[in-house]
Amino acid sequence: MRLFLLLAVSLSLAAQTPDCSLVPGWGQQGPARTYVADDLFEYMDGNAEGYLIYHFVKMQGVTCQLAGNTIVFDVSEMEDPEAAYGIFAANRDPRIATEKIGMASQIQPRRAVFCKDKYYVELAVNQEKDLSVPLRAFVTAMEKRISGRTALPEAISWFPTDKLVRDSIRLVPESVLGLRLLKRGYIAQYEYGKGFLVAESSPEAAAEVMTKLRARIGQTEPARIADDAFRATDRYLGRLAFFRKGRYIGGFANLAESQNATTLASGLAARIP
Amino acid sequence: MKSHVMPQSRGSWDKLQLVSGGIGKRSGQAESLSHLGAQAVAPETEALQSHSSRRDFLAAGLALPGLRSASVAGLAAEPALQYRTLGRTGLKVTTVGFGCMITSDPSVIQRAADLGINYFDTARVYGRGNNERMVGAVLKSRRKSVILSSKSQARSKQAALADLDASLRELGTDYLDVWCIHDRTRGEEITDELLEAQQIAKKDGKIRFAGVSTHRGQASVIPAALKCGKIDVVISGYNFAMDKDLDPVLESAHQAGLGLVAMKVMAGGFRNASYYPTTNELRSQLKREGALLAALKWAIRNPYIHSSIPSMVDMDQLDENLKAMASPFTEADQKILSARLEQIRPLYCRMCNRCEGTCPKGMPVPDVLRYLTYAEGYGQFALGREKFLELPSEVQKIRCDLCPSCSVSCSFGVKVAERLIRAQELLA
Repeated sequence: MRLFLLLAVSLSLAAQTPDCSLVPGWGQQGPARTYVADDLFEYMDGNAEGYLIYHFVKMQGVTCQLAGNTIVFDVSEMEDPEAAYGIFAANRDPRIATEKIGMASQIQPRRAVFCKDKYYVELAVNQEKDLSVPLRAFVTAMEKRISGRTALPEAISWFPTDKLVRDSIRLVPESVLGLRLLKRGYIAQYEYGKGFLVAESSPEAAAEVMTKLRARIGQTEPARIADDAFRATDRYLGRLAFFRKGRYIGGFANLAESQNATTLASGLAARIP
Repeated sequence: MKSHVMPQSRGSWDKLQLVSGGIGKRSGQAESLSHLGAQAVAPETEALQSHSSRRDFLAAGLALPGLRSASVAGLAAEPALQYRTLGRTGLKVTTVGFGCMITSDPSVIQRAADLGINYFDTARVYGRGNNERMVGAVLKSRRKSVILSSKSQARSKQAALADLDASLRELGTDYLDVWCIHDRTRGEEITDELLEAQQIAKKDGKIRFAGVSTHRGQASVIPAALKCGKIDVVISGYNFAMDKDLDPVLESAHQAGLGLVAMKVMAGGFRNASYYPTTNELRSQLKREGALLAALKWAIRNPYIHSSIPSMVDMDQLDENLKAMASPFTEADQKILSARLEQIRPLYCRMCNRCEGTCPKGMPVPDVLRYLTYAEGYGQFALGREKFLELPSEVQKIRCDLCPSCSVSCSFGVKVAERLIRAQELLA
């Protein structure tokens, strides 16, 4: 039994381990790398914080080579699939469309990234060359090895799509809209402003946050949206409408003059189950 | 050394404009009043625009009740700003700058600039360019009244210059005030090729000053930056948990005219303690204790540190950090930091590789302590054990509890033998 468990754990770990032989012809250069939050800085000082903020757990990496070309191949385990999507969205190029490989992917001439389940996979070419073909091959093969969630976090589908900037929805790991009260949630960029959605642990906790938000924003006007709502104007958040629906707090901010904040926020609230 | 605490009363703000406009200049404070210093390229009218912008902001805060409570409540409406001269660059920088790396919402950067923070730091690698894009969009309208710094991790001249062009494009500017060779651990990593790239960029007017950033190689990188004579600014990891041996290095750098900017001044000093499950919880605990502010005050109390670039993700953090410029480092702050240091000291191996003494049996002490951190601190028992099992078998068999005394000690107070015995219990 114990042997079986060990074998199962080993196979499971192997599935998330980057492997140069995933694409025929490529071989590993040098030893494999493993980093945890405590020593990630040794690998990427100057950028480690950008991983830690998304609740980074562990990274395994190898460098692959073929005929003078090298690809750095790293697989980061994050705390959960939402965090994996979060770091993916923070690092993708918003000007380039994403593809549905895993939860989401982006393949460019010298760089490819994707997320699946709680894993964030990055491949980077060291030379000034277009290696999008092998990069795609690695992405496709690695995606098959990682089991688990391929659906995007559910909350993403709740944002209305009209005038939503393509691939703009991202997870903010701390302080949504620059407000500490809104601990972690999603931001969506629209042509006329930005929408947001934060999940609290319970309706009561969300109600408490709404009370604090009112105090923080100052002069607010009540609005009739979901369980509770208000509108206001703020120097930095512009014209805004915030609402609570159950344990969710959402709304719009920085809205253009032409937009009706209450209508937009109502539209978002209506899509939350 | 120019270091002043300037309460920005309305009256003094008016004086500031007067001085910036070149109508009058007083010694001391007057010199510190220009954000851009002697080598500033910004026309004075633009400096005035920046000041007007801030004044407008303050006025708006007074005029609009909603704004006052939303954005200024809990913060002195007119924060005290402290300026120092960034070494030979002559730039006048606020001692608290802004590290933009993990900032998600541009409003926080915008407000920091409104409140008078004038040093903003980003890097090519942050968010793969997304961070530079956000910072550029926020600061574009006041470009000439802020000091903008970015960095490249490139290792060749060609790649570095390509990175610089990408940074300028993403930031929406035609020059950087400070452009750094990013993340060097050893002096020899400041290569002639990269220095040449910086000189070319200077000649082309794409950068004003050349810099280098180092997180943990200060003792090697700072002297090398001095020696080469082509580096103007060093961005260096610096916090209260670090080795005091760094102070003479900083002093000599300051004396030689290097501009010194501190980073990792807060959580970085704690995070390696590893006993906190998430960044958020850690930050929250440290904030409750007042430790974050104390740590920032500790860093900028050193006159050789000209600015600092703490990360800021929200308005509360910004408000908190601004206080560091208004009040000096006190005994109460020292007490908070000492308590924190004492808490982590017996457990926290700094990986400085300067253990006193060596194990006659060949135990690689820092490595084993690190594996213990994996297992205990991060709950990564499998990884800790995996690493331990990679050690030579004769090392794995060593049992420290069989030794009458330990020949290895730690000047930082890590209880070496105790921790090694714990590692062997857990991992062997």
